[in-house]
Amino acid sequence: MGLAKRKAAYVEYAQAVPLKYAIDADSCIFLQKGKCGACQKICPTGAVDFKQKPSTETLNVGAVILAPGFTPFDPGRFDNYQYANLPNVVTSMEFERLLSASGPTAGHVTRQSKDHGEPKKIAWFQCVGSRDQNKCDNSYCSSVCCMYAIKEAVIAKEHAGDGLECTIFYMDMRTHGKDFERFYNSAKEKGVRFVRSRVHTIDPTPDESLNVRYVGDDGQAITETFDLIVLSVGLQTNPAVVDLAKQLDVDLTASRFCATDTFAPVATSRPGIFVCGAFQGPKDIPQSVVDASAAAEAAGEILTPARNTLTKVPEKVAELNVNGERPRIGVFVCRCGINIAGVVDVPSVAEFAATLPYVEYATDNLYACSQDTQDALAQTIKEKKLNRVVVAACTPKTHEPLFQETLIAAGLNKYLFEMANIRNHDSWVHKNNPELATKKAKDLVHSAVKKVALANPLTEAELNIAQSALVVGGGISGMAAALSLSRQGYPTHIVEQEAQLGGQARNIYQTAKGEAVAEKLQELVRSVEQDGNITVHLKTKLDQVEGFVGSFKSTLAGNKGQTVIEHGVAVLATGGKALTPTEYGYGKDPRIMTSLELDRKFMANDPVLDTAECAVFIQCVGSRQPDRPYCSRVCCTHSVDSALQLKKRRPEMNVYILYRDIRTYGERELLYKKAREAGVIFIRYALDHKPTVSITGSKVTVQVTDHVLGLPVAIDADLLTLATAVLPNRDERLANFFKVPMNEDGFFVERHAKLGPSEFATDGVFLCGLAHYPKPIDESIAQGKAAASRAITLLARKKIFTSGQVASVDPMVCSSCGVCVSVCPYSAPSFIDASARMHAGKAQINAVLCKGCGLCVASCRSGAIHLKGFDNDQIFAQVAAINWD
Amino acid sequence: MSEWEPKIVSFLCNWCSYGAADLAGVSRMEYPPNVRVVRIPCTGRMSPKFALAALREGADAVWVSG
Repeated sequence: MGLAKRKAAYVEYAQAVPLKYAIDADSCIFLQKGKCGACQKICPTGAVDFKQKPSTETLNVGAVILAPGFTPFDPGRFDNYQYANLPNVVTSMEFERLLSASGPTAGHVTRQSKDHGEPKKIAWFQCVGSRDQNKCDNSYCSSVCCMYAIKEAVIAKEHAGDGLECTIFYMDMRTHGKDFERFYNSAKEKGVRFVRSRVHTIDPTPDESLNVRYVGDDGQAITETFDLIVLSVGLQTNPAVVDLAKQLDVDLTASRFCATDTFAPVATSRPGIFVCGAFQGPKDIPQSVVDASAAAEAAGEILTPARNTLTKVPEKVAELNVNGERPRIGVFVCRCGINIAGVVDVPSVAEFAATLPYVEYATDNLYACSQDTQDALAQTIKEKKLNRVVVAACTPKTHEPLFQETLIAAGLNKYLFEMANIRNHDSWVHKNNPELATKKAKDLVHSAVKKVALANPLTEAELNIAQSALVVGGGISGMAAALSLSRQGYPTHIVEQEAQLGGQARNIYQTAKGEAVAEKLQELVRSVEQDGNITVHLKTKLDQVEGFVGSFKSTLAGNKGQTVIEHGVAVLATGGKALTPTEYGYGKDPRIMTSLELDRKFMANDPVLDTAECAVFIQCVGSRQPDRPYCSRVCCTHSVDSALQLKKRRPEMNVYILYRDIRTYGERELLYKKAREAGVIFIRYALDHKPTVSITGSKVTVQVTDHVLGLPVAIDADLLTLATAVLPNRDERLANFFKVPMNEDGFFVERHAKLGPSEFATDGVFLCGLAHYPKPIDESIAQGKAAASRAITLLARKKIFTSGQVASVDPMVCSSCGVCVSVCPYSAPSFIDASARMHAGKAQINAVLCKGCGLCVASCRSGAIHLKGFDNDQIFAQVAAINWD
Repeated sequence: MSEWEPKIVSFLCNWCSYGAADLAGVSRMEYPPNVRVVRIPCTGRMSPKFALAALREGADAVWVSG
């Protein structure tokens, strides 16, 4: 990014995958001038090849997925912000690097001017290169910048302390993602200042600070000085990607994103080519991950007949029985080139290892992970009849699976293995202390040797995955999931409590892109009903669920009594509903209605739509307030779209939208712009000054304080629409059935907010749609496909092996106290049935459900539970091996 | 200030702190070499017995992180 210098041989960034060096051809003296070549001479493995040239390869594929991402907007051309001239004006991307522990300042934020001083006042400017048609051509909202600016401000304050003043200048604060509004509120509590203003100009001061001129909410011009300014740059499609789209004959939107249909959110205009991520529209990580799974699913549908036709099956080596044998340990100490050997005296560590009890063989090698060393390792295991292996190298988190594969190939159980982390935890962090680093390496190797000596071969439970699925909820998202599962060949049951499919989509008139929902919904319902692989159970509820991943047994209770179905996976798509408001005179006058009730009028072509003189929308009814502190995400776009429909039917109608922040994220912003152009009047109100509604005689009057005039305004409304909050269909019983968590708002909690948005931490259970968080139709369908995609990765394996590192109970010692049963987050322990012949009433642990966390082991007051692979004696031995002298 | 440096045994959760210690290495941060890491599958695995064992075996301090 140009913030710091780097060498011509470089690693892109610390978390790069693969974590390998590359050569910057533009800066390499050898490639430019034919001199030097030092890296080639010094590289011990001969990995540097200057002769590599770009090559063209041809692949035969059945589907293509486009995930080219975005390019940050370049603010260099904005003369009023002078990004190109002023060192203390940086982009948000550059600021991310300044905050990063692996960045040029190691996470310590400094000014970019020569003083490198610590900033005391930092300002963020939102919407740089977004929502702007005057200075650039990006009239859409980039969706992610509000949230990342708040995050950067909070992290900067956490790092620099409360003395740092952070101010965010914004137009509308758009924290419409799950738990984002809470983060926004907590940022305010932490002292981040939010100023609603678009800054006009930045003027430098003699000490390279920055004077900022802006107009406050009251219309007064204010000048304030900041030490550092961060431009929250927007997302845009790279021109090279625009060319690629042309070449591929894929349609783009006016904003140069990939054009998609609401009901096929990851399909491009060209069959067989799919899209995900920010090329489909500016979006954040969770939505990109949802899209990615959905695109994989869409590609999977057309590739189903070809599945497993190109798969290679590895040869299986029979496992040697080493039970009862005396440990014969091999220790392999890795130099990792100079990464370890440059600091740690590797030969002396290997010599030391050879002296330890049970060690039969110890050696060092250049790269333990290279293929030739792996082959040699397997050979040595056989030759020396080793039955335990220690590799002293890098971290087990990345390399343990690789070495375990080698053990398996040599016929050893993969749990007879231990790693000593002498790189990440030693040579890399103690480079100025080689002597103590070597001593530490010996300790770590000694610990690993003592631990592995006590290791036993472990077995992994094999589990067949029933090749069928259950989808709970027959709304848009549930149907999308069911169709995906069925089209990839898995029989699927849909359980729907209502008498018909469709869920909330039945109440919606049209999408933000203008597609009629009823028509598309009918098509979707028809494809579900005609799908021979899908069984629909209407007016049915779940009565009981037994089992776990791969073999669930669910009892359905419907009109015709009970049915039991067996399924390998479950998708929870239980949807949501609109809040029934208790304020703004709702229920007291037929002219006051919810957004969905207005949609019904559109669908029914109600004559009032053509006669009304004045329509008012009130936003955030029940959302973003202390008792429901989340944004319902869909209501701004919905009201703006409805307002436009009214204007279209009757241009002379006065239409007002009373809002707090307009959150028409992404290309939905274009609708907002269109609404303003059509004459819809937007009046902002504050949470502590909500509008009031009075019904007197024949009039419904809305009173609100106009944010521009600062004066109260009274509007007589013929149509008053309340944009009500989206509520989840909170179902504690269902959550208990599948052992999945719910947050305090009643939405399900996914495995990981960013990286696992469509699955639960509980194996074999997935989620999608409004049950996860409020979202529009396109995102609901994408998540339905994503949940199916995640489920199919499990189903396609047909059987799975669980980890061998699980807890087990010694029933002779168990006192039946039940602590393990109550503490386990995964419901793995249970009591053996009272009528059992053996050990009745004692605890037992289901190895399939156990995640091996060891919570029950530490909690067991009788010492009856052991954690295989991390047993007490192993950890004691590790601790005892440390030589503190 | 004395020259004394405590000897520390740290019990780190495999999923977070152990990974963070890895990242400290990747980022080439430096810290004193008198700490020995014991990887545990989760801090739920931590038992007071382990802390006592570490102190008994000569450590001055025990650090549990997860």
